[in-house]
Amino acid sequence: MALKRDLYRALEDVVGPENVTEDPVILYSYAWRSGLIATPQLFVPTFEAVTLPKNTEEVQAIVKLCNRHKIQFKASSTGWGCYCDPTGPGVIKLDLRRMDRIIEINEKNMYAVVEPYVIYAQLQGELMKRGLVCNITGAGSNCSALPMAAHANLGHMSQSASYGERNLLGVEWVAPDGEIVRLGALGSSSQWFCGDGPGPSLRGIIRGNTVPLGGLGVYTKAAQKVYHWAGPATFPTEGVSPDYAVKEIPAGFMVRYIHFKSEDIMVEAVRKVGESEIGFILMGFNPAMVSGNKARNNEEDLELLKRYTDEVQGPGFLLIIAGNSPDDFEYKKETLELIMKQFNGKSLKDVEDPENAGGFIWRFTRVTGSLRETCRATGCFGGEVGGTDVFGLMRTYISRASKLKQSLIDKGLLHDDGTDPFVQSIEHGHQGHGELLIRYDPNNPESAMAAREIFMTANMTAVEGKFGVPHHVWSDEIHDMYGPHASNYTKWLRKIKKTFDPNAASESSHYISSKE
Amino acid sequence: MVEEKLAKIVGARNVMRGESELNDYAKNFSFVNAFRPRCIVKAETAGQIEKIVKLANDTATPLVPVSSGPPHFRGDTVPGTGGAVVVDLSGMKKITRVDRTNRVAMFEPGVTYRELMAAVAKEGMRLNLPLLPRKNKAVVGHLLEREPPVMPKYHWDIGDPLSCLEIIFGNGEMFRTGAAAGPGSLEDQWAAGGAQKEAAGPSSASWYRIIQGAQGTMGIVTWASIRCELLPSLEEPFLVGSDNLDKIMEMVHWLIRLRLVNECLVMNNCDLAVIMAKKFPEDYQIIKDSLPTWALFCNIAGYEYLPEKRVSGQIKDMKAAARRAGLETGQALGKVIASELLAAVQCPSREPYWKLRYKGACHDIFFLSLYDKLPEFIRIMQDAADEAGYPASDLGIYLQPVVQGTSCHCEFNLFYNPDNAGDITRVKELSNSVTRKLLNAGAFFSRPYGESAGMIINRDAATAAALKKVKLITDPNNIMNPGKLCF
Amino acid sequence: MALQDYRKEMIMCCRCSYCKFIPLEKIEGVRNASVCPSISRFNFHAYSGGGRLNFGMAMLEKKIDYSDKLLEVVYNCQMCGGCDISCKYGMDMEVLDPINEMRIQCVDDGHTLKALDGVMNRLRKQGTMVPGAKAKRGEWAEGLDVKDFTTQKTKVIFHAGCRTCFDKDMWSVAQSAVKLLQKAGADVGIAGEKELCCGSRAYQTGYKEDFLNQAKKNMEMFKKAGAVVLVTGCADCSYGFKVLYDKFGMKGQLEVLHITEYLDRLIKDGKLKPEKKVALNVTYHDPCHLGRLGEPYIHWQGKQIPGQIRIFEPAKEFRRGTHGVYQPPREVLGSIPGIKLMEMDRKKEYAWCCGAGGGVIETNPEFAQWTASERIKEAEASGAGAIVTACPGCERSFKDAIKESGSSLKVYDVVELAAESIGERG
Repeated sequence: MALKRDLYRALEDVVGPENVTEDPVILYSYAWRSGLIATPQLFVPTFEAVTLPKNTEEVQAIVKLCNRHKIQFKASSTGWGCYCDPTGPGVIKLDLRRMDRIIEINEKNMYAVVEPYVIYAQLQGELMKRGLVCNITGAGSNCSALPMAAHANLGHMSQSASYGERNLLGVEWVAPDGEIVRLGALGSSSQWFCGDGPGPSLRGIIRGNTVPLGGLGVYTKAAQKVYHWAGPATFPTEGVSPDYAVKEIPAGFMVRYIHFKSEDIMVEAVRKVGESEIGFILMGFNPAMVSGNKARNNEEDLELLKRYTDEVQGPGFLLIIAGNSPDDFEYKKETLELIMKQFNGKSLKDVEDPENAGGFIWRFTRVTGSLRETCRATGCFGGEVGGTDVFGLMRTYISRASKLKQSLIDKGLLHDDGTDPFVQSIEHGHQGHGELLIRYDPNNPESAMAAREIFMTANMTAVEGKFGVPHHVWSDEIHDMYGPHASNYTKWLRKIKKTFDPNAASESSHYISSKE
Repeated sequence: MVEEKLAKIVGARNVMRGESELNDYAKNFSFVNAFRPRCIVKAETAGQIEKIVKLANDTATPLVPVSSGPPHFRGDTVPGTGGAVVVDLSGMKKITRVDRTNRVAMFEPGVTYRELMAAVAKEGMRLNLPLLPRKNKAVVGHLLEREPPVMPKYHWDIGDPLSCLEIIFGNGEMFRTGAAAGPGSLEDQWAAGGAQKEAAGPSSASWYRIIQGAQGTMGIVTWASIRCELLPSLEEPFLVGSDNLDKIMEMVHWLIRLRLVNECLVMNNCDLAVIMAKKFPEDYQIIKDSLPTWALFCNIAGYEYLPEKRVSGQIKDMKAAARRAGLETGQALGKVIASELLAAVQCPSREPYWKLRYKGACHDIFFLSLYDKLPEFIRIMQDAADEAGYPASDLGIYLQPVVQGTSCHCEFNLFYNPDNAGDITRVKELSNSVTRKLLNAGAFFSRPYGESAGMIINRDAATAAALKKVKLITDPNNIMNPGKLCF
Repeated sequence: MALQDYRKEMIMCCRCSYCKFIPLEKIEGVRNASVCPSISRFNFHAYSGGGRLNFGMAMLEKKIDYSDKLLEVVYNCQMCGGCDISCKYGMDMEVLDPINEMRIQCVDDGHTLKALDGVMNRLRKQGTMVPGAKAKRGEWAEGLDVKDFTTQKTKVIFHAGCRTCFDKDMWSVAQSAVKLLQKAGADVGIAGEKELCCGSRAYQTGYKEDFLNQAKKNMEMFKKAGAVVLVTGCADCSYGFKVLYDKFGMKGQLEVLHITEYLDRLIKDGKLKPEKKVALNVTYHDPCHLGRLGEPYIHWQGKQIPGQIRIFEPAKEFRRGTHGVYQPPREVLGSIPGIKLMEMDRKKEYAWCCGAGGGVIETNPEFAQWTASERIKEAEASGAGAIVTACPGCERSFKDAIKESGSSLKVYDVVELAAESIGERG
């Protein structure tokens, strides 16, 4: 469906002719399937046009044009996830690539403000120069640093640095009808430090533990909390890609992968680590995620996976300790030793090895998850992701949801990377999160169906087992599986959608529609 | 008649229309134009509340929810229009659950701090308290007001320590926020291992944020769950004094940034003297005169593992932070002993409520600020006080870092004699004029109360418009506390 | 190979945007985080490494056809390989090869750009890919007392390359190179006027047949000379001879060295002694075809093992830029007294391109210059007074950009600084 010429010309007037296109070469490059939950369908529906706005005013103008011309829009930054895509015709893309500035880093009040196309690697680099860090999205620091861009914005550092829903401060929001709403202190006094008020907080409308995935307008700038960093601006890294190595671990840092005899014991150990507040990063990786992170190719990955799987006594977690002072480090180290002794936790040799330890710390702090753990093996990854309720519940849910995985591996439909799910601890154990990550050949229709089977089974498990509304719930279809069981939240979410997007201009196939 | 229908819901003894009762509920220390309610209804269950709200919708009767006992200070709990029914929840006293493993407790709206603290203490836990809440302040009230707590380290988000809640929205529908939404009943969730801890959600909206700060305009909360922290096994409190606020805030920044301290707050000598004095004016003046302008109070704590090692290390680091700021720490400051102040701030206020001790009444002006702007705002306040003839020496100032140091709650306590008409007029006029000045200088009044609320909210037309849209969703007939905020 | 043969590589793209940035571990801030000049300049995803694979798949799936836009996007790329290296930090897949293959497919299917057709005509007629006449190819060596390897057996061939031969500013560098080799006792010869273009740029712009013709002719000449080693001062030529000729099974036993590799060896062996002080703060620019693309070609025959995970039998080693030529130029500079090396943010395997590659100078000179000027800004930010590199193409690109911008930065070749210190300036 070609755009009406007057609309196209109007878009050219807004962004300049060189920043809008409807050429199929460009459109099809955006229509290539995402590596997230990929299927044999290589291309998704194309956008009608792609625009590259430079600033909030241009974004607003495009949104208003879409409202006027009754065409939909969808914005994204780096565009990795499948939720950046339209599911049908009649949608204009806002590629926010030209909005790539760090607006402010306030060291005293510890927040940073970015535009959508600053990626986390860039923000973290700038912050570390100032003795600060941010929680990077666990999918990788190649993702946008806007806490509204990622699906949930949980990350490796959530143990000590929380996650997007709670780190978000002031936000500049172009609502679906084209109104610009500046949340909190931003609207009242042009300051970024608070996103709440006056009165009730509109942060509650624009996101929950997940974001609206493109379906509720465009977020053009946002502030997030940042945290203290006890390390140097950069680790001394030697070598050439992909053989980077950190030979010397900075003082005050330690990394271990600690494994336990059983899930129950591990959950208790996580609780104790949380309550003693010693963890900088605590991630309940399975051996596959550790091997994947270190390995420089798939063959090495398989070899390390076998070695780690043979070595561990049961589930475990990766823990990074960062001391803010020599005394602080000593306390944290000794406390960890006590906890390990108490729960008979053992340390995975390869992670503890000084040859490797620095690299693990560096990668997990600056890259977080990388392609090595996700897409390298098969070209895609999927599975399902739980919620962010209490750690024990999230662990139970994801363990139950993972039971199907082995049978699908046995049928050759999934990559065999073990069935241990991944869990993480948030805010020193106050909350937790779990994911069952699967890797499969997306070109194999049966594998794609297996991924779907795991996903739908996990939904039934969540509903029947009372495990909350997981993060992977998006779209009308899946929301409606949960709504009647969860305070009819879908009704309220639809009211938000209808109220703020009366013309249904914001493409919401990955959010929720306003249908009755 | 509405009252008869209400009586059918809650029982006749729970519907009050006596003159003095109605007057009591219209009384408060704010300067808002208060209307007498038409009646008070005491609700005891969520089911009753649901019916009350439905009735209110059918009869276009405004409702004003109240959970705390008097005195009230901010004007949000007195009707802003005529014909309103006050829904008094203070009798809902159940503490449903205390969960040590997941560090959370669930309770009804009438539960006070002392009651809840006792319950969670049995499990080795504590609450992140606001500063000296009054005796009959309901915990839910403060949670909904986003009252700043005194332990910024555990204040990850401005909504903390609220976890989940159950609300009857203004349209009469029941909703549970966060993890409490479901699937399953609360009992089902507990059986599965759930604890109604996660505040956000469900899914892509965080309804608790819309309910907080709403001053009862969205609905009536029937229970809440609160994030709890652990009771320390060892504590060492300290005081730091200086006339230089910049130095104090520099040290505050590092104490919070390095997560060295639990309780951490700053007061001027006036506020600290008011809190610590046993007799007025004698004690008060002696204490105040012994103090520098500013006092920083902080407390270092150890828990289960190696508490002595932890505390001694953190004391060392705290002293280093003090030295860097050109300050010294001590276990006393003037006539104030740190351990006594610690004992005070870890409890609700002793009677009389601390803000009433000095002169009988107190009007608060509070907002959020970056650290660097505090001196400017304080100067504006002091200049305005001088201009209004309010003695600056009587001005209490309380600075509470919030959200792990991303901003600071700045509170001016204007003590005054409620029996002196001149005092009242002076404070009222000062409050209005200085609020405008502070607004213009960039103070962020995130929680606007009383007469200034309209001026504050209208500053940001887009937010006001968006809030009105939200209000239409939750309370389309505008029966919930009309006349408050921008509604 | 045809584009279809790269389907299994292209289908691996997961849309992660790694190809747009330098390796994530190396990003140190908001500045200088991009590795791809094309998407940095044009912004639409199609201009990135991943984007090219994506619309390449669209071609294979017959969703799109040839068009002016397609050619414009295909050829607005310096073929610098930055995307390839960044992707391969995390993935086991080819990126640059299918991108190159797409150009070959365009040419084979008769879809070309006039500017590049013109270049190929010049290659076929004048034997050069830069403006110039065959007869003048040897003029750079006038007065140089050096063997003609086309008439005499010679162990070490020095190949000047088209850029050097036809750009007077580069002649002294080539002369210095020969003199240094001679001083070190190398049995070195040149072809002078009879030198042939390596054809590397022809391959990179999609003219595979022209490249193969050049390769055949060159190897015949080298074999006849009995050469054991080929040395060149041009990164593109070095890549052509070392990697592309080997890829097509034409290199044989010939050892191909860039001049900086040879000088490094000679200095370490004590055969050349940089003794004169050259007081200069410099930053070194890694030419793409010497650095990340300069590692040896890896011959592999095998197939993917059926199953979920992408592994091969025998195990497939990917060229990830790990073994590119990064250290030798730095070692040479390090051996010169007085030189202080100040690295840029983007270096070695993730260096920003000079802008000159992939035919962009001919098809979009403005884009080439923009790319170079970005690099000049980065060089200036390093604090150095000069940018040193090891490729005449890079040097020309920088000199032009500096002239345009009015920058005071100087441009040198590693060879000329070494020659200055050793006392053999050409």
